[in-house]
Amino acid sequence: MSSFEIDQDCGERANAAAYALGALEDADAYREHLLSCAGCRAEVAELQLAVDALPSTVTPASAPESLRRRVLDAVRSEADLLHAAGRKADRAPRARRTPGGWRLLIAGSASLAAGAAALIVLAVSSGSSNAVRVTTAQIAASERGAHGALRVASGRAELVLGGMRQAPRGQIYEVWLSRGKASAPAATDALFGVTKAGTASVVVPGPLHGVREVLVTREPLGGSLHPTSAPIVRVVL
Amino acid sequence: MRAPPGGASRAELRRLADEELVQLVAASDADAFEIVFERHADAAFALAYRMCGRRSVAEDVAQEAFLALWRGARRYDRTRGSVRTWALGIVHNRAVDALRRSSVHERRRAHEEGAEEALEAPERTDVQAIGNTASAELRGALEQLPLEQRRVIELAYFGGFTHVEIATMLDTPVGTVKGRMRLGLQKLRGQLHSWEAIGG
Repeated sequence: MSSFEIDQDCGERANAAAYALGALEDADAYREHLLSCAGCRAEVAELQLAVDALPSTVTPASAPESLRRRVLDAVRSEADLLHAAGRKADRAPRARRTPGGWRLLIAGSASLAAGAAALIVLAVSSGSSNAVRVTTAQIAASERGAHGALRVASGRAELVLGGMRQAPRGQIYEVWLSRGKASAPAATDALFGVTKAGTASVVVPGPLHGVREVLVTREPLGGSLHPTSAPIVRVVL
Repeated sequence: MRAPPGGASRAELRRLADEELVQLVAASDADAFEIVFERHADAAFALAYRMCGRRSVAEDVAQEAFLALWRGARRYDRTRGSVRTWALGIVHNRAVDALRRSSVHERRRAHEEGAEEALEAPERTDVQAIGNTASAELRGALEQLPLEQRRVIELAYFGGFTHVEIATMLDTPVGTVKGRMRLGLQKLRGQLHSWEAIGG
């Protein structure tokens, strides 16, 4: 008799396998139960070892080079950014005029944490001809713990965010492009949610020529043509 | 090539165990991450491909998982398993998320078509070349399970279906599905035990 067959008294024991496989629909309730049931915990731990072996039954395949390039490029950029931010985090933010259409909205909002968010623009590949530019994002004070950066390479811009909250039910994040105070921020079709880990990466559409700022707001599902809330992320180019 | 923050060379990093590398990754060491990536990228991609059945989706899932590993390395807990198990767990979760964005019908069709059939001939050659004995034995152990047990395990783990969805699609009581999952996993666990006992 194996250890997981001991103590059959708990009526919840039948859920252990489905839970270990990630297939139990009411997993949260069972997770709560595990806190107080040593027998179920032991069974899950035993069965989990079998579940953890399942990836080894998959027919092997070689990861494509494009995956390697995409992952390592992103990681290198973020690492350079983080190292640079570590050295310069106390630097005062650069003063900048707020585009007209946004002035009141920002002034009346929780405001961007300008004092806390150092503005750092750096050439990641400084010293080389490879023009990759990473710009840290300013984050609204209401989004405590969030961080982000815009990475521009070969005319392609990607906004990478971390520590973000899930958008409230019925809302989604939307990217806007501001070309200066004379015009209102232009809506884009870049609508996104964040992962359970609070991360998101989104490609900023269209050429950035003439764009002064990349902004993110929370909008109703489907997005808006005009911003209905204050920006929570701002990247000044 | 830049030296990592800790000053270790690439060759020195390669001699480190995964658990040591992840500590460096948690300190934003991209060189350490690259080595972790090289060690586990094939397994991660293979799992994502097996689950999602489409190369482009599998690549997106694997990318998302590795970036989550990079950004969340501080959360790694060595008492809960190896780095490989942790990394593949992230891949699995991301793949399930991707699968559950599709309808049950689409997922079932993708699952039944199977990723292996989707492999094109040149890739299948690579696949055969990098196979290994341990995974072949594990595949054998899974294949030796009674069909009804193997089926519910594969639908749950690789198909991303919940136990209720599986019960519905097989027209089988929910309790029976849970029981088959349990029996199948117990047999696999028993097989692993016997290999451990003989040092396999």
